[in-house]
This record gives sequence, C-alpha cells and structure tokens, in this order.
Amino acid sequence: MTELSEGAKFVAIAAREIADGDICFVGIGVPSLAAITARRGHAPDSVIIYESGAIDALPPVPPLSTGSPSVVADTAMVTSCLGVFSMLQQGVFDLGLLSAAQVDRFGNLNSTVLGPYATPKVRLVGSGGAHDIAVLAREIIIMMPHDPRRFVEKVDYITSPGLRTAANGMDADRTRGKGPRCVVTPRGRFTFEAGELTLDAIAPGFDEAQAVEGFGWKVPHAHVVRRLPKIDEALGATASAVLKSWGRGTD
Amino acid sequence: MSGIYPSVDHEKDNRFGRLQTKLITFVVLPYYLSPVAYTKFWIDTEKHYGTDYGSNPSSELKRARFDMRNKLSHLADAVKAHIHDGDTVFVGGFGQCIPFATGQEIVRQNRKSLTLCRSGADIFFDMLIAAGCVRKAVFGYVGNPGIGLGHAFRRAVEAGTLEVEDWTNFAMVLRLHAGALGIPYIPAATLVGGDLPVGVRTAPVTCPFTGEKLVAIPALNPDVAIIHGQFADSEGNLQLFGLSGDTADGALASKRIVATVEKIVPAAAIRAQPDHTIVPGFRISAVCEVPYGAHPAYVEGFYGRDDAAYMEWDKIARSAERLNAWLDTEIRGTKSFAEYWARLDPSRIADLVAARGRELASAA
Repeated sequence: MTELSEGAKFVAIAAREIADGDICFVGIGVPSLAAITARRGHAPDSVIIYESGAIDALPPVPPLSTGSPSVVADTAMVTSCLGVFSMLQQGVFDLGLLSAAQVDRFGNLNSTVLGPYATPKVRLVGSGGAHDIAVLAREIIIMMPHDPRRFVEKVDYITSPGLRTAANGMDADRTRGKGPRCVVTPRGRFTFEAGELTLDAIAPGFDEAQAVEGFGWKVPHAHVVRRLPKIDEALGATASAVLKSWGRGTD
Repeated sequence: MSGIYPSVDHEKDNRFGRLQTKLITFVVLPYYLSPVAYTKFWIDTEKHYGTDYGSNPSSELKRARFDMRNKLSHLADAVKAHIHDGDTVFVGGFGQCIPFATGQEIVRQNRKSLTLCRSGADIFFDMLIAAGCVRKAVFGYVGNPGIGLGHAFRRAVEAGTLEVEDWTNFAMVLRLHAGALGIPYIPAATLVGGDLPVGVRTAPVTCPFTGEKLVAIPALNPDVAIIHGQFADSEGNLQLFGLSGDTADGALASKRIVATVEKIVPAAAIRAQPDHTIVPGFRISAVCEVPYGAHPAYVEGFYGRDDAAYMEWDKIARSAERLNAWLDTEIRGTKSFAEYWARLDPSRIADLVAARGRELASAA
C-alpha cells in the first residue's frame, strides 16, 4: 500500500467519526470529503444532506459549492433550502459536520471576521448555514486542519456557538442540539466532556505534544490519551480517491 | 371703449384660434387616425372585456404583441423599468440559475445604492459591489464557494464602504418565506447564542400554546427579485428544474420580479408540466430570453458550472485595479450579455454545454 498523503489521512480520520446510518448535514471542504468517504466506504447507510436542497446526495466528484451540479448528479431528492432547514429544525439530522476559520476552547466557531467585528482585519464569508447547523443538529463534529492560527483560546467572533454551558454564556434550555461532540484534526481528536477542549486521542505518527503544537492556550489532556487506530487500507484508498477528485487540498 | 368693458385683444384671440386649428389638424386628428391610437383603444378594450381571438394566426400574433398578459421584454428595458437606484434586490439562484446576465445589465446601467439580499451569495455580490452598485448587503454568506473569500466584499467591509447585515442562511430563508407568507415575522429555533443575534433585529417570542421560547425572525419583502430559470412562456410562467434554494421564496416575497430564462417556450409546453412552474406569470414584471444568462453558474439541461471562471475570479478580484479593469472591458465594454458571451472561447463553451446534465423534456 502506498503511503497516504497528509490530506487523505485527515479525511479518513474525519470519516471514521461518521457511523453507518447517521443522517449528516455537511458543509463544503473536509466535512463534505469525509461524508462522501464514509458513504462510499464503511457507512453505506449514512445519508448526506447539503443545504442547497439535496437529500441523500452521492456526488460523483466532491462539489466546489453546496449548489454544484455534482450535488444533484446522483441524489435521491431535491428540495428547497426551506425544506432542508425545516428538517434540521425538526431535529431529524444526527450529525452536523462543520469547519471554520477559528475554533476555541469551548468549541465556538468563527467564520465571520478576524479582528473586531466593527473594524475587521479580515472580513470572512459569514455563517452560511453553520450557525443553524451548530444550534439545531443533534450533535456536531468539527473538522479542522492542524493550523495553530485556527486554534485560539477565544474566537474573535462567535458565529456558531459551541458548548451549552453557563461558562460559555449558553442556555442549554434554549438550544435544541447537544452541541459539539469532538474536534478532529490530522494530528488528533479532542472532546469536551471536561467542559472544555481536551486532547482525547492522537493520530498515528504523532505524539501528544505535536497534537497541540502551537495552540494559543494550554490544552488539557485526558487522563489516558488514546491512540487512534491505524487507517485501514480500504478507508485510506477511498479517502485518497475522494480527495484526488476534489483536487483542492484540505484547508 | 373704456369703462365697464374690459379691453379685448382680438389679435391674441385670433392667434389662439389659429393655434387650436393647427393643433387639431396636425396633431389630434392624425393621432386618432393613426395605428397608435387604434392599438391603445384595442388594448384598453382588451383590458376591460378580454377577447377571444380564436385560432386566427394573425390574432395570435397580435395577442403576443399587445396582450396585457405578455411579459416579454429585452433585458436592458426590463432593468431600466423595474430596478431603480436604492432598491432592495433579492438575487435568486443557489449554485445554479444565478441571474448573472441581469447583474451585468445592472452594472452597465450603473445602478446605485442597491441593497442586495439572499441566503448564500457567491461572486455575483462581489461583481456588483466592485462595480459600485451596492450600498448594503443582507445575507447569510458572501464568498466564492469552495475557493475562498469574496474579495471585493471583503475590501468594502474592511474599508467601511459597505453596510452589512449578518444573518444565517436559514434565517434569510425564513425572512423571505415569512415575506412570501404575507406575515410580519416567523418564530424559529435558530439565532440563539453566540455573537450573530446581537447584530440583527430579532426578538424573543413565547409560543402561546406550548410556552416554548423561540426567536421572532422579521419578514423581508424586497422591492424587486431577479431570477433565472430554464423556461417561461410569454406570460412569464417560469419554470426552474433542479436546485432552486430560496429562489421561489425570495421571488414571491418581492414586490416586482424580473426573470430571465434560457428559452421562451409556447404556453402549451409550460402547461404540459405545470409542476415545474415556481412563479406564476401574473407575478412577473418582465421576462427576458437570455441564453446562457446564468454563466458562470450553471443551468441543468443547458450547461455546466464554469468552475474555472470562479477560480479565475479569485485571482482577478484579489486586486481592486485588476477587477475594475475586468469590469471595464468585459462588462462595461460590452453592450449586452450576448456580446460578453460571444467573447468566450468556443471550446470552453462546448465543454460547458457538454456538461449540461440531464435532458429536460420541455426543451423540445
């Protein structure tokens, strides 16, 4: 078996978070790549939904936009945005897969602005469906490239709220979804059981220090930091193929 | 002749009389004898009483030209008549059927101070912002999907020259849907937590039946919607196959609708599959046949998405000068969308057409 690229490994690790049968609302980038990999591989009964209105999509090539032609090339249903978001609000989607420019220790995501909102250093794209997914999907999986600039103690702007805790300024009674389950990076997996981002497991080939290298604050480690299992050949091959047909990298 | 009688200027009266005679002889009579007056009378009669033209083909021709149901227009005329400076404009399409041709015409006619709104917006917003047509953007997302930022949007926000309202895609869909429902707001379970709710006008609302706490999202009723579809008939009954996103909600929430389509087809073709009609003709202000009018977005059954153009945009738009030069040559330097289209490489067009996707029945 040929050595997997860093990007393919990341897609494979992210794809493993999706269990067979999961109904997944996905965004563009690694979330979409991971969902397609899972659907073609170990989770054939998972369902991919794009906000543009495609339900149970099976894109022959990963789409550049949630509205790209490949999204509808092999899909079971085309509805409106309202149709998709209605189901999201109903609570029938198991997982929301998200990525963002920044994530912080409470799992808040920022895709709106770097610097102050009123006088931005870099104005980003905005929420799109991310805030809605973060608030309404039953559970969230956050997929982030290992880029120290993206891991900050507090995001510049909370586009999509994370933990439903008082410490994070959230009222659990007013939000329907449970919030973030984990953050996966090419180097490891982080969970929030301790009330903040905590290193839970390391990816093959990395140690604990490398998994949090460059992060903007001291990230706590779990009592026992697990090792993520090796990526098996079938998963690696599927992830490679998906990433290759996407052709735009994983960040 | 002084005293009780006012002095009379007979010469002035005579001049006035001669003018009246001339007016009647050379203006009024010719008008009433002219085809213009005949047509006006004919249309007014039609408006009041309707007419059955039978199967007389010449009557059919007249019907197409003068019927009040007729919404056919040239795009330049439609933009001139229905899109004004300062309007709030809903932009249709989601990935596919984005009305780029209408956007180009707005740039050519140099509309100012527009408020653009929709859920997920791509480089269409960037183009109009760069061209100086936009005062404010109301949106869930503005960027170049899968590629990066909307550079003109980014520069304008950072420079403080563009007002923004950051919503979410779902919230924008709900605002337009409430507008289409004809109600002032809609309750929802989104826009809770984080910084987004702080910047927009929402209000807490409690369900009168269950006591559940929700968020009231205000309706949005744009002045005008611009949308693109596959087919319409001359009455404007508009059909859109494939992804439409928030197009129907946004169009039906708007006061006026300017539509472009790939092909104007006979009414019978529309009526053969009426389930694909997303906007009825009586709601349409103008419908224009503009083949390829969604480029670089795509239209199922006609052409694929020009991903390369979106990537080129990323390079062009990074520099304000380069983007302005591009607008000057490609948009302001062309008279119409057709001229813009004719400049594209034929092999590129062939590739796009080859990637048109499924064949649509009413293309016949």
